[in-house]
Amino acid sequence: MSVALAHPASTIAADVTQAVSARELGVRFDDRAVLQDITLDIAAGQYVALVGANGAGKSTFLRVLATLLPAGDGEVRLFGQDLARAGPRVRGKIGLIGHQTMLYRDLTVRENLEFFGRLYGIADPSGRARLLMDAVGLPHRADDPVKSLSRGMGQRVAIARALMHSPDLLLADEPFAGLDIASALALEELLGHFHHKGRTIVLVNHDIGQSLRLAQRVLVLRGGRLVTDRPTSQCDAQSIAARIIGP
Amino acid sequence: MTRTLRQIALLVAKDLRIEARTRQTLGLVTVLGILIVVVLGLGLGAQQGGVGHRATAVLWVAYLFAGVLCFEKTMSVERHDGALAGLLVAPVDRGTIYAAKLISNLVMMLAVALVVTPAGVVFFGFDLSAAPGQFALVIGLSMLGFAAVGTLFAALVSSSRLAGGLLALVVFPLTLPVVIASTQIMLGIFRDGQDLGGMALGVLGAFDVVFLAASWVMFEWVLEP
Repeated sequence: MSVALAHPASTIAADVTQAVSARELGVRFDDRAVLQDITLDIAAGQYVALVGANGAGKSTFLRVLATLLPAGDGEVRLFGQDLARAGPRVRGKIGLIGHQTMLYRDLTVRENLEFFGRLYGIADPSGRARLLMDAVGLPHRADDPVKSLSRGMGQRVAIARALMHSPDLLLADEPFAGLDIASALALEELLGHFHHKGRTIVLVNHDIGQSLRLAQRVLVLRGGRLVTDRPTSQCDAQSIAARIIGP
Repeated sequence: MTRTLRQIALLVAKDLRIEARTRQTLGLVTVLGILIVVVLGLGLGAQQGGVGHRATAVLWVAYLFAGVLCFEKTMSVERHDGALAGLLVAPVDRGTIYAAKLISNLVMMLAVALVVTPAGVVFFGFDLSAAPGQFALVIGLSMLGFAAVGTLFAALVSSSRLAGGLLALVVFPLTLPVVIASTQIMLGIFRDGQDLGGMALGVLGAFDVVFLAASWVMFEWVLEP
Protein backbone atom coordinates (compact mmCIF):
# COMPACT_ATOMS: atom_id res chain seq x y z
CA MET A 1 0.00 0.00 0.00
CA SER A 2 2.59 2.54 1.03
CA VAL A 3 4.64 2.04 -2.10
CA ALA A 4 1.96 3.73 -4.19
CA LEU A 5 1.91 6.71 -1.95
CA ALA A 6 5.29 8.02 -2.97
CA HIS A 7 3.54 11.01 -4.42
CA PRO A 8 5.63 13.87 -5.66
CA ALA A 9 5.38 17.06 -3.63
CA SER A 10 2.21 19.09 -4.00
CA THR A 11 2.18 21.58 -6.85
CA ILE A 12 0.01 24.06 -4.94
CA ALA A 13 1.64 27.46 -4.89
CA ALA A 14 2.62 28.55 -1.41
CA ASP A 15 0.30 31.56 -1.43
CA VAL A 16 -2.76 29.57 -2.45
CA THR A 17 -4.20 28.47 0.85
CA GLN A 18 -7.72 27.68 -0.29
CA ALA A 19 -8.22 24.58 -2.39
CA VAL A 20 -11.90 25.44 -2.84
CA SER A 21 -13.70 28.76 -2.44
CA ALA A 22 -17.39 28.94 -3.24
CA ARG A 23 -19.41 32.13 -2.96
CA GLU A 24 -23.21 32.03 -3.16
CA LEU A 25 -23.00 29.03 -5.46
CA GLY A 26 -26.28 27.98 -6.99
CA VAL A 27 -27.23 25.36 -9.58
CA ARG A 28 -30.66 24.83 -11.08
CA PHE A 29 -31.96 21.96 -13.19
CA ASP A 30 -34.85 23.46 -15.12
CA ASP A 31 -36.93 25.12 -12.41
CA ARG A 32 -35.56 23.09 -9.55
CA ALA A 33 -32.83 24.55 -7.38
CA VAL A 34 -30.33 21.77 -6.68
CA LEU A 35 -27.76 23.92 -4.92
CA GLN A 36 -28.55 27.22 -3.27
CA ASP A 37 -26.36 29.89 -1.80
CA ILE A 38 -23.40 27.67 -0.93
CA THR A 39 -20.58 29.71 0.55
CA LEU A 40 -17.55 27.93 1.95
CA ASP A 41 -13.80 27.63 1.87
CA ILE A 42 -11.82 24.41 2.00
CA ALA A 43 -8.21 24.93 2.94
CA ALA A 44 -5.54 23.16 0.96
CA GLY A 45 -4.65 19.93 2.70
CA GLN A 46 -7.97 19.55 4.47
CA TYR A 47 -9.96 16.29 4.57
CA VAL A 48 -13.64 17.15 4.30
CA ALA A 49 -16.65 14.85 4.43
CA LEU A 50 -19.78 15.92 2.61
CA VAL A 51 -22.93 14.18 3.79
CA GLY A 52 -26.62 14.50 3.13
CA ALA A 53 -29.71 12.59 2.10
CA ASN A 54 -30.29 11.39 -1.45
CA GLY A 55 -30.94 14.39 -3.68
CA ALA A 56 -29.38 16.85 -1.23
CA GLY A 57 -26.98 18.10 -3.91
CA LYS A 58 -23.75 16.36 -2.87
CA SER A 59 -22.92 14.87 -6.26
CA THR A 60 -23.95 18.07 -8.02
CA PHE A 61 -21.58 20.03 -5.79
CA LEU A 62 -18.76 17.63 -6.65
CA ARG A 63 -19.56 17.87 -10.36
CA VAL A 64 -19.29 21.64 -10.18
CA LEU A 65 -15.91 21.35 -8.47
CA ALA A 66 -14.83 18.81 -11.09
CA THR A 67 -15.75 21.31 -13.85
CA LEU A 68 -18.32 18.87 -15.26
CA LEU A 69 -21.16 21.24 -14.48
CA PRO A 70 -21.09 25.03 -14.64
CA ALA A 71 -22.11 27.05 -11.62
CA GLY A 72 -25.41 28.69 -12.42
CA ASP A 73 -25.04 31.42 -9.81
CA GLY A 74 -22.17 32.64 -7.73
CA GLU A 75 -18.50 31.90 -8.07
CA VAL A 76 -16.24 28.93 -7.46
CA ARG A 77 -12.47 29.06 -7.27
CA LEU A 78 -10.06 26.15 -7.16
CA PHE A 79 -6.61 27.05 -5.87
CA GLY A 80 -7.40 30.69 -6.53
CA GLN A 81 -8.56 30.20 -10.13
CA ASP A 82 -12.09 31.07 -11.13
CA LEU A 83 -13.63 27.90 -12.57
CA ALA A 84 -15.72 29.89 -15.05
CA ARG A 85 -12.54 31.16 -16.68
CA ALA A 86 -10.04 28.44 -15.83
CA GLY A 87 -8.64 26.44 -18.72
CA PRO A 88 -7.65 22.78 -18.81
CA ARG A 89 -4.64 23.42 -16.56
CA VAL A 90 -6.72 23.65 -13.38
CA ARG A 91 -8.32 20.29 -14.20
CA GLY A 92 -4.89 18.73 -13.91
CA LYS A 93 -5.09 19.41 -10.18
CA ILE A 94 -8.34 17.48 -9.77
CA GLY A 95 -8.89 13.77 -9.31
CA LEU A 96 -12.45 12.48 -9.48
CA ILE A 97 -13.94 9.22 -8.28
CA GLY A 98 -17.54 9.14 -9.43
CA HIS A 99 -20.50 6.81 -9.46
CA GLN A 100 -19.21 5.28 -12.68
CA THR A 101 -15.71 3.96 -13.19
CA MET A 102 -14.89 6.39 -16.03
CA LEU A 103 -12.78 3.64 -17.59
CA TYR A 104 -12.72 2.06 -21.04
CA ARG A 105 -14.20 -1.37 -20.57
CA ASP A 106 -12.44 -2.91 -23.60
CA LEU A 107 -8.99 -1.78 -22.49
CA THR A 108 -7.07 -3.62 -19.82
CA VAL A 109 -6.48 -2.25 -16.35
CA ARG A 110 -2.89 -1.37 -17.27
CA GLU A 111 -3.89 0.24 -20.58
CA ASN A 112 -6.52 2.39 -18.86
CA LEU A 113 -4.13 3.63 -16.18
CA GLU A 114 -1.32 4.30 -18.63
CA PHE A 115 -3.68 6.06 -21.02
CA PHE A 116 -4.87 8.48 -18.35
CA GLY A 117 -1.33 8.91 -17.03
CA ARG A 118 -0.12 9.95 -20.47
CA LEU A 119 -3.12 12.20 -20.95
CA TYR A 120 -2.10 14.05 -17.79
CA GLY A 121 1.49 14.15 -18.99
CA ILE A 122 2.98 12.38 -15.97
CA ALA A 123 6.62 11.34 -16.24
CA ASP A 124 6.48 7.56 -15.89
CA PRO A 125 2.93 6.33 -16.55
CA SER A 126 3.94 2.67 -16.67
CA GLY A 127 5.74 2.81 -13.33
CA ARG A 128 2.97 4.82 -11.72
CA ALA A 129 0.35 2.39 -13.03
CA ARG A 130 2.29 -0.53 -11.53
CA LEU A 131 2.49 1.20 -8.15
CA LEU A 132 -1.21 1.97 -8.09
CA MET A 133 -2.23 -1.49 -9.25
CA ASP A 134 -0.24 -2.83 -6.28
CA ALA A 135 -1.89 -0.28 -4.00
CA VAL A 136 -5.41 -1.29 -4.95
CA GLY A 137 -4.53 -4.97 -4.88
CA LEU A 138 -4.96 -5.75 -8.55
CA PRO A 139 -1.51 -6.45 -9.99
CA HIS A 140 -2.66 -9.94 -10.99
CA ARG A 141 -5.46 -8.46 -13.11
CA ALA A 142 -3.29 -5.86 -14.86
CA ASP A 143 -3.73 -7.36 -18.31
CA ASP A 144 -7.41 -8.21 -18.03
CA PRO A 145 -9.98 -6.00 -19.72
CA VAL A 146 -11.91 -3.83 -17.30
CA LYS A 147 -15.19 -5.38 -18.45
CA SER A 148 -14.08 -8.70 -16.97
CA LEU A 149 -13.72 -7.25 -13.46
CA SER A 150 -16.32 -7.36 -10.71
CA ARG A 151 -17.96 -4.10 -9.66
CA GLY A 152 -15.74 -3.77 -6.62
CA MET A 153 -12.59 -4.43 -8.63
CA GLY A 154 -13.70 -1.89 -11.22
CA GLN A 155 -14.15 0.61 -8.41
CA ARG A 156 -10.61 -0.06 -7.22
CA VAL A 157 -9.26 0.60 -10.72
CA ALA A 158 -11.32 3.79 -10.83
CA ILE A 159 -9.66 4.89 -7.61
CA ALA A 160 -6.24 4.14 -9.10
CA ARG A 161 -7.18 6.15 -12.20
CA ALA A 162 -8.15 9.14 -10.09
CA LEU A 163 -4.80 9.01 -8.27
CA MET A 164 -2.61 8.44 -11.35
CA HIS A 165 -1.58 12.10 -11.61
CA SER A 166 -1.31 12.69 -7.85
CA PRO A 167 -4.04 15.35 -7.85
CA ASP A 168 -3.94 18.22 -5.38
CA LEU A 169 -7.69 17.91 -4.88
CA LEU A 170 -9.40 14.52 -4.75
CA LEU A 171 -13.17 14.54 -5.18
CA ALA A 172 -14.50 11.17 -4.10
CA ASP A 173 -18.20 10.49 -4.61
CA GLU A 174 -19.10 7.45 -2.52
CA PRO A 175 -15.79 5.69 -3.21
CA PHE A 176 -16.57 2.92 -0.70
CA ALA A 177 -19.69 1.81 -2.57
CA GLY A 178 -19.31 -1.73 -3.83
CA LEU A 179 -16.10 -2.47 -1.94
CA ASP A 180 -15.69 -5.44 0.35
CA ILE A 181 -14.45 -4.86 3.90
CA ALA A 182 -10.79 -5.48 3.12
CA SER A 183 -10.87 -3.17 0.10
CA ALA A 184 -12.72 -0.50 2.07
CA LEU A 185 -10.10 -0.59 4.82
CA ALA A 186 -7.33 -0.44 2.22
CA LEU A 187 -9.01 2.57 0.62
CA GLU A 188 -9.35 4.30 3.99
CA GLU A 189 -5.62 3.83 4.47
CA LEU A 190 -4.87 5.01 0.94
CA LEU A 191 -6.91 8.17 1.41
CA GLY A 192 -5.29 8.75 4.80
CA HIS A 193 -1.79 8.57 3.31
CA PHE A 194 -2.90 10.78 0.46
CA HIS A 195 -4.15 13.36 2.93
CA HIS A 196 -0.98 13.21 5.01
CA LYS A 197 0.97 14.14 1.89
CA GLY A 198 -0.80 17.49 2.00
CA ARG A 199 -3.55 16.77 -0.50
CA THR A 200 -7.11 17.97 -0.18
CA ILE A 201 -9.95 15.45 -0.10
CA VAL A 202 -13.67 16.05 -0.44
CA LEU A 203 -15.40 12.79 0.40
CA VAL A 204 -19.09 12.22 -0.27
CA ASN A 205 -20.23 9.40 1.95
CA HIS A 206 -23.43 8.00 3.40
CA ASP A 207 -21.67 6.34 6.33
CA ILE A 208 -21.67 9.09 8.95
CA GLY A 209 -19.54 7.22 11.46
CA GLN A 210 -16.89 6.48 8.87
CA SER A 211 -16.99 10.09 7.65
CA LEU A 212 -16.48 11.47 11.15
CA ARG A 213 -13.64 9.03 11.76
CA LEU A 214 -11.78 9.81 8.53
CA ALA A 215 -12.32 13.52 7.92
CA GLN A 216 -11.35 16.67 9.78
CA ARG A 217 -14.47 18.57 8.90
CA VAL A 218 -18.01 17.66 8.00
CA LEU A 219 -20.40 19.53 5.73
CA VAL A 220 -24.09 18.67 5.71
CA LEU A 221 -26.21 19.49 2.68
CA ARG A 222 -29.98 19.48 2.95
CA GLY A 223 -32.24 20.50 0.10
CA GLY A 224 -29.30 22.01 -1.74
CA ARG A 225 -28.30 24.22 1.18
CA LEU A 226 -25.29 23.97 3.44
CA VAL A 227 -26.83 23.51 6.88
CA THR A 228 -23.81 22.36 8.91
CA ASP A 229 -20.10 23.07 8.63
CA ARG A 230 -18.16 21.88 11.66
CA PRO A 231 -14.92 20.14 12.66
CA THR A 232 -15.57 16.44 13.06
CA SER A 233 -14.03 16.60 16.53
CA GLN A 234 -17.07 18.62 17.63
CA CYS A 235 -19.70 16.32 16.13
CA ASP A 236 -21.24 12.98 16.83
CA ALA A 237 -23.10 10.72 14.44
CA GLN A 238 -26.49 11.36 16.02
CA SER A 239 -26.30 15.12 15.71
CA ILE A 240 -25.16 14.86 12.09
CA ALA A 241 -27.97 12.42 11.30
CA ALA A 242 -30.41 14.87 12.85
CA ARG A 243 -29.04 17.67 10.68
CA ILE A 244 -29.35 15.49 7.56
CA ILE A 245 -32.97 14.63 8.30
CA GLY A 246 -33.79 18.16 9.36
CA PRO A 247 -36.31 19.63 11.73
CA MET B 1 1.07 22.70 -29.36
CA THR B 2 3.24 19.63 -28.80
CA ARG B 3 1.08 18.68 -25.82
CA THR B 4 -2.07 19.04 -27.90
CA LEU B 5 -0.70 16.91 -30.72
CA ARG B 6 0.46 14.30 -28.23
CA GLN B 7 -2.99 14.20 -26.65
CA ILE B 8 -4.67 13.89 -30.06
CA ALA B 9 -2.37 11.00 -30.93
CA LEU B 10 -3.15 9.33 -27.59
CA LEU B 11 -6.90 9.67 -28.06
CA VAL B 12 -6.83 8.40 -31.63
CA ALA B 13 -4.61 5.46 -30.67
CA LYS B 14 -7.03 4.63 -27.87
CA ASP B 15 -10.02 4.66 -30.24
CA LEU B 16 -8.25 2.50 -32.80
CA ARG B 17 -6.98 0.09 -30.16
CA ILE B 18 -10.52 -0.40 -28.86
CA GLU B 19 -11.77 -0.92 -32.43
CA ALA B 20 -8.98 -3.36 -33.22
CA ARG B 21 -9.84 -5.33 -30.09
CA THR B 22 -13.63 -5.35 -30.41
CA ARG B 23 -14.04 -5.08 -34.20
CA GLN B 24 -17.54 -3.90 -33.42
CA THR B 25 -17.61 -1.06 -35.92
CA LEU B 26 -15.58 -1.84 -39.01
CA GLY B 27 -16.97 -5.33 -39.60
CA LEU B 28 -20.57 -4.17 -39.37
CA VAL B 29 -20.03 -1.01 -41.37
CA THR B 30 -18.12 -2.70 -44.17
CA VAL B 31 -20.80 -5.33 -44.61
CA LEU B 32 -23.44 -2.61 -44.67
CA GLY B 33 -21.50 -0.66 -47.30
CA ILE B 34 -21.12 -3.69 -49.57
CA LEU B 35 -24.80 -4.57 -49.16
CA ILE B 36 -25.78 -1.07 -50.22
CA VAL B 37 -23.58 -1.29 -53.31
CA VAL B 38 -25.01 -4.70 -54.24
CA VAL B 39 -28.67 -3.81 -53.64
CA LEU B 40 -28.48 -0.49 -55.48
CA GLY B 41 -26.41 -2.11 -58.20
CA LEU B 42 -29.08 -4.73 -58.77
CA GLY B 43 -31.78 -2.08 -58.73
CA LEU B 44 -29.96 0.12 -61.22
CA GLY B 45 -29.10 -2.74 -63.57
CA ALA B 46 -25.37 -2.54 -63.00
CA GLN B 47 -24.74 -5.93 -64.62
CA GLN B 48 -26.04 -4.73 -67.99
CA GLY B 49 -23.20 -2.23 -68.33
CA GLY B 50 -23.15 1.42 -69.32
CA VAL B 51 -23.93 2.73 -65.84
CA GLY B 52 -20.41 2.84 -64.45
CA HIS B 53 -20.57 6.55 -63.68
CA ARG B 54 -23.55 5.91 -61.39
CA ALA B 55 -21.19 4.06 -59.08
CA THR B 56 -20.01 7.42 -57.70
CA ALA B 57 -23.50 8.21 -56.39
CA VAL B 58 -24.02 4.68 -55.13
CA LEU B 59 -20.68 4.74 -53.35
CA TRP B 60 -21.69 7.96 -51.68
CA VAL B 61 -24.84 6.34 -50.33
CA ALA B 62 -22.64 3.58 -48.89
CA TYR B 63 -20.15 6.09 -47.45
CA LEU B 64 -22.97 8.10 -45.86
CA PHE B 65 -24.58 5.23 -44.00
CA ALA B 66 -21.26 3.67 -43.09
CA GLY B 67 -19.99 7.03 -41.89
CA VAL B 68 -22.97 7.66 -39.64
CA LEU B 69 -22.48 4.26 -38.00
CA CYS B 70 -18.78 5.04 -37.48
CA PHE B 71 -19.64 8.38 -35.85
CA GLU B 72 -22.14 6.74 -33.52
CA LYS B 73 -19.83 3.91 -32.53
CA THR B 74 -16.75 6.02 -31.82
CA MET B 75 -18.79 8.26 -29.55
CA SER B 76 -20.64 5.42 -27.85
CA VAL B 77 -17.26 4.14 -26.60
CA GLU B 78 -17.11 7.28 -24.45
CA ARG B 79 -20.58 6.73 -23.05
CA HIS B 80 -19.93 3.35 -21.43
CA ASP B 81 -19.18 3.60 -17.72
CA GLY B 82 -18.89 7.39 -17.90
CA ALA B 83 -15.55 7.32 -19.72
CA LEU B 84 -16.30 10.71 -21.25
CA ALA B 85 -16.41 12.30 -17.79
CA GLY B 86 -12.91 10.93 -17.22
CA LEU B 87 -11.78 12.74 -20.35
CA LEU B 88 -13.58 15.96 -19.49
CA VAL B 89 -12.02 16.11 -16.03
CA ALA B 90 -8.55 15.64 -17.54
CA PRO B 91 -6.53 18.66 -18.69
CA VAL B 92 -7.60 18.16 -22.28
CA ASP B 93 -9.13 20.90 -24.36
CA ARG B 94 -12.54 20.11 -25.88
CA GLY B 95 -11.12 21.00 -29.29
CA THR B 96 -8.48 18.33 -28.80
CA ILE B 97 -11.16 15.73 -28.16
CA TYR B 98 -13.01 16.90 -31.26
CA ALA B 99 -9.90 16.69 -33.44
CA ALA B 100 -9.13 13.20 -32.14
CA LYS B 101 -12.67 11.94 -32.74
CA LEU B 102 -12.64 13.45 -36.23
CA ILE B 103 -9.37 11.71 -37.08
CA SER B 104 -10.60 8.40 -35.65
CA ASN B 105 -13.75 8.68 -37.75
CA LEU B 106 -11.78 9.54 -40.89
CA VAL B 107 -9.45 6.59 -40.37
CA MET B 108 -12.40 4.23 -40.01
CA MET B 109 -14.20 5.71 -43.02
CA LEU B 110 -11.01 5.33 -45.03
CA ALA B 111 -10.79 1.68 -44.01
CA VAL B 112 -14.40 1.14 -45.08
CA ALA B 113 -13.83 2.99 -48.36
CA LEU B 114 -10.84 0.79 -49.14
CA VAL B 115 -13.16 -2.23 -49.18
CA VAL B 116 -16.42 -0.73 -50.43
CA THR B 117 -14.95 1.27 -53.31
CA PRO B 118 -13.41 -1.76 -55.08
CA ALA B 119 -16.74 -3.53 -54.62
CA GLY B 120 -18.47 -0.64 -56.40
CA VAL B 121 -15.83 -0.57 -59.12
CA VAL B 122 -16.23 -4.27 -59.83
CA PHE B 123 -20.01 -4.45 -59.51
CA PHE B 124 -20.69 -1.39 -61.71
CA GLY B 125 -17.80 -1.86 -64.11
CA PHE B 126 -16.73 1.62 -63.02
CA ASP B 127 -13.52 2.69 -64.79
CA LEU B 128 -11.76 4.30 -61.84
CA SER B 129 -8.43 4.04 -63.65
CA ALA B 130 -9.43 7.07 -65.75
CA ALA B 131 -8.70 9.41 -62.83
CA PRO B 132 -7.91 7.58 -59.59
CA GLY B 133 -6.04 10.50 -58.04
CA GLN B 134 -8.89 12.93 -58.72
CA PHE B 135 -11.39 10.43 -57.32
CA ALA B 136 -9.36 10.09 -54.13
CA LEU B 137 -8.95 13.85 -53.80
CA VAL B 138 -12.66 14.60 -54.27
CA ILE B 139 -13.78 11.80 -51.95
CA GLY B 140 -11.17 12.77 -49.36
CA LEU B 141 -12.21 16.42 -49.29
CA SER B 142 -15.89 15.51 -49.21
CA MET B 143 -15.46 12.98 -46.43
CA LEU B 144 -13.60 15.56 -44.37
CA GLY B 145 -16.60 17.90 -44.46
CA PHE B 146 -19.02 15.06 -43.85
CA ALA B 147 -17.02 13.74 -40.90
CA ALA B 148 -16.58 17.25 -39.47
CA VAL B 149 -20.35 17.63 -39.14
CA GLY B 150 -20.94 13.98 -38.20
CA THR B 151 -18.43 14.07 -35.36
CA LEU B 152 -20.06 17.16 -33.90
CA PHE B 153 -23.58 15.81 -34.03
CA ALA B 154 -22.57 12.35 -32.83
CA ALA B 155 -21.42 14.03 -29.62
CA LEU B 156 -24.69 15.94 -29.38
CA VAL B 157 -26.94 13.01 -30.17
CA SER B 158 -25.05 10.59 -27.92
CA SER B 159 -26.15 12.60 -24.90
CA SER B 160 -29.75 12.48 -26.08
CA ARG B 161 -32.25 9.74 -25.34
CA LEU B 162 -33.20 9.83 -29.01
CA ALA B 163 -29.81 8.57 -30.16
CA GLY B 164 -30.96 5.71 -32.38
CA GLY B 165 -31.40 6.93 -35.95
CA LEU B 166 -31.46 10.59 -35.02
CA LEU B 167 -27.90 11.18 -36.16
CA ALA B 168 -28.64 10.27 -39.78
CA LEU B 169 -31.70 12.54 -39.76
CA VAL B 170 -29.58 15.47 -38.62
CA VAL B 171 -26.35 14.87 -40.52
CA PHE B 172 -27.68 13.90 -43.96
CA PRO B 173 -29.55 17.15 -44.67
CA LEU B 174 -26.71 19.27 -43.31
CA THR B 175 -24.08 17.58 -45.43
CA LEU B 176 -26.24 17.33 -48.53
CA PRO B 177 -24.52 20.31 -50.22
CA VAL B 178 -21.10 18.68 -50.00
CA VAL B 179 -22.44 15.31 -51.17
CA ILE B 180 -24.23 16.87 -54.14
CA ALA B 181 -21.15 18.91 -55.04
CA SER B 182 -18.99 15.80 -54.78
CA THR B 183 -21.21 13.64 -56.99
CA GLN B 184 -21.59 16.41 -59.58
CA ILE B 185 -17.84 16.87 -59.73
CA MET B 186 -17.29 13.15 -60.17
CA LEU B 187 -19.97 12.87 -62.85
CA GLY B 188 -18.14 15.65 -64.65
CA ILE B 189 -14.88 13.72 -64.43
CA PHE B 190 -16.02 10.16 -65.10
CA ARG B 191 -19.06 10.63 -67.36
CA ASP B 192 -18.23 13.84 -69.21
CA GLY B 193 -14.46 13.54 -69.25
CA GLN B 194 -13.89 16.94 -67.64
CA ASP B 195 -10.77 17.81 -65.68
CA LEU B 196 -10.98 18.48 -61.99
CA GLY B 197 -10.94 22.27 -61.92
CA GLY B 198 -9.78 24.63 -59.23
CA MET B 199 -13.33 25.88 -58.88
CA ALA B 200 -14.61 22.43 -57.91
CA LEU B 201 -11.85 21.95 -55.38
CA GLY B 202 -12.52 25.44 -54.06
CA VAL B 203 -16.17 24.59 -53.45
CA LEU B 204 -15.31 21.41 -51.55
CA GLY B 205 -12.54 23.18 -49.66
CA ALA B 206 -14.91 25.98 -48.69
CA PHE B 207 -17.43 23.48 -47.35
CA ASP B 208 -14.69 21.82 -45.35
CA VAL B 209 -13.43 25.06 -43.84
CA VAL B 210 -16.93 26.18 -42.86
CA PHE B 211 -17.94 22.79 -41.46
CA LEU B 212 -14.67 22.32 -39.58
CA ALA B 213 -14.64 25.80 -38.08
CA ALA B 214 -18.29 25.72 -37.03
CA SER B 215 -18.03 22.22 -35.60
CA TRP B 216 -14.82 23.00 -33.71
CA VAL B 217 -16.42 26.03 -32.08
CA MET B 218 -19.69 24.28 -31.27
CA PHE B 219 -18.18 21.05 -29.96
CA GLU B 220 -17.41 22.57 -26.58
CA TRP B 221 -21.08 23.39 -26.07
CA VAL B 222 -22.53 20.05 -27.14
CA LEU B 223 -20.20 17.77 -25.22
CA GLU B 224 -21.94 16.77 -22.02
CA PRO B 225 -20.65 14.12 -19.62
